[in-house]
Amino acid sequence: MSILYFLVQQTMFFSIPLLIVALGGMYSERSGIVNIALEGIMIMGAFVSVFFISSYNDAMNPQLLLILAVLVAGLSGGVFALFHAFASINLKADQVISGTALNMFAPAFAIFIARTFGGTQYIQFVDKFHIVKVPVLGSIPIVGRLFFQNAYITTYIGFLIFIVAAFVIKYTRFGLRLRSCGEHPQAADSVGINVYKIRYAGVFISGILAGIGGIAFVIPTSTNFDASVAGYGFLALAVLIFGQWRSNKIFIAAFFFGIMKTISSTYSGIPILKDLPIPNEIYKMAPYIATLVVLVFFSKKSQAPRAEGIPYDKGSR
Amino acid sequence: MIKEAVNYIKNIKGECMKKILCFMSMILAVVFVGCGGKEEGGASKTKVYEYALVTDVGTIDDKSFNQGAWEGVQAYTKEKNLPAKYYKPIEKSDEAYMTSMRLAIKGGAKVVVCPGFLFENPVWNLQQEYPDVKFIILDGAPHSGNYKYDIKDNTVAVFYADQQAGFLAGYAAVKDGYRNLGFMGGIAVPPVVNFGYGYVQGADYAAKELGIDDVKIKYTYLGSFGPSPENMAKAASWYNGDTDVIFACAGGAGNSVMKAAETAGKAMIGVDVDQSSESESVITSSMKNLGKSVHDILNLYEKGEFPGGQMLRLGAESGNVGLPMETSRFKKFTKDDYDMIYDKIANNEIEIQTNLIPEVTGLKVDKVQVELVK
Repeated sequence: MSILYFLVQQTMFFSIPLLIVALGGMYSERSGIVNIALEGIMIMGAFVSVFFISSYNDAMNPQLLLILAVLVAGLSGGVFALFHAFASINLKADQVISGTALNMFAPAFAIFIARTFGGTQYIQFVDKFHIVKVPVLGSIPIVGRLFFQNAYITTYIGFLIFIVAAFVIKYTRFGLRLRSCGEHPQAADSVGINVYKIRYAGVFISGILAGIGGIAFVIPTSTNFDASVAGYGFLALAVLIFGQWRSNKIFIAAFFFGIMKTISSTYSGIPILKDLPIPNEIYKMAPYIATLVVLVFFSKKSQAPRAEGIPYDKGSR
Repeated sequence: MIKEAVNYIKNIKGECMKKILCFMSMILAVVFVGCGGKEEGGASKTKVYEYALVTDVGTIDDKSFNQGAWEGVQAYTKEKNLPAKYYKPIEKSDEAYMTSMRLAIKGGAKVVVCPGFLFENPVWNLQQEYPDVKFIILDGAPHSGNYKYDIKDNTVAVFYADQQAGFLAGYAAVKDGYRNLGFMGGIAVPPVVNFGYGYVQGADYAAKELGIDDVKIKYTYLGSFGPSPENMAKAASWYNGDTDVIFACAGGAGNSVMKAAETAGKAMIGVDVDQSSESESVITSSMKNLGKSVHDILNLYEKGEFPGGQMLRLGAESGNVGLPMETSRFKKFTKDDYDMIYDKIANNEIEIQTNLIPEVTGLKVDKVQVELVK
């Protein structure tokens, strides 16, 4: 039983960043802008917020500091994403290219600034954010141990973001407009929706969420930030496609990835799995093979936004 | 018609000018920031960099090999107020390494420090091409493509007794009361393997001294030197099991292990340099003194006694491996215990097996159970 608790706790560290970032990607792509810059935006968000944390380490309550850092990460990610928005909405540039530019710029920028101010490219932080046990909730039998022990506040922020993001895109006027701009911007424009504004909003929100995903990724898994998020931005892109651009499916996909990743990296510490006569390479391959198999079955009815990747031009109807 | 066309062109010009201006200002901004960085270093372009280092995979501040060697170069050149510079190859290949080394030599380098066995072939090539330039290669010896070793008079090959450093760490951990040990190496390259083998044998030696036989060691190679959540989860699963201390001999991936140790409230052992300042969970570090040895060789070079053509084996007898006892967080293991075992190693009283044995399970150990996790 304690192994199950452990697995669930570890899964959170993998799944939550993927979930947040993939939801961010959803907002951008369903407004019609392909966003492969998620990796770069994650790096930027993580970089600025870790910098913030290391500067104000002792100034306040650690949980408050982490929440502020999440806000800082969101803001910096959002602002950084505006470059992508400007290039792909105003300048009508190829969205893949401007996304790649952001991906290449972010780590270089992070290393350069960190070296200039700190001497090394690593930004260390002291982890005071780890929650051994959430008061009251952590004492609930079973559920308490599953979800409210050995956790970070970013986990709960992640769930909150999921609920809000899913609600907004499905049930609000803004959500409807956003979706329409990704499906048929000309039609949306004809009823008086400003496609440019909506797309700006979509990319900005995706930047905010990707930035938050960056800090949610770094805090639980390392003791310093070295200008990398280990390709998790691209993995989030896979989760987005795997989840068919729909929030609930993204949720399932993110946790599917998380569980597979957890098992493939922790099997050596789990007696039942370790004794199975399966070579470790199989475990390492497992998440990707499973993804391939699932995609084979589901990619037939891909539900990608129809106007995705096409710059909106008022003149062409 | 013509008027319209002219207007149109004017318009385009205006647009272009705007963009060009925008672009120019961006470049200016970058240049400004760039200059700011350089002035700090106090270096200008006309200077000749007589002492150069070419980095191995990883960065100059990797808290490990490159950094250690570079600190040695810097310590020496700052003492004498000489200019030094490091060069970073664009990729991990013999060609790229040689290009960087040539660049260093063109920049006036008289001594090129090459940290890492990946330089074996590049140094072999260039030591013939540039007989007047001295090469210092760490943890490797120059050889041709078909492994014919040849150290010319302008090259010195330095090997560290990593197995001794690992031995000390394993010995100290068991002496300090740990019974369930773990070893996580990055990739099974010779230095990492030697660290790991030494660790196992050190633990075994301590178990023999204490007369216990319940010491267990989990042993694995992660397959990468980079930090990642996967490596963190792997370490966390070991800590969640019965492992109490993990010796992370894996560069940046060590930080993933460190994180897992912090969250689990357990211990880890650092590598190469003293990592105690990075986390409370670091009980000690298995160090090899890269900086000191590079510094010493540069000193010899200046005196005209460059140990060219030699293969140096640096270990406990010259004080080039060890544990940082001042910053270690041991409960029982004392400085006296340390000095005793250190002397034994320095006097070669203990025979430590090295990477000549292909698998860790092939090591001759009596008291510890080694479980190789693939």
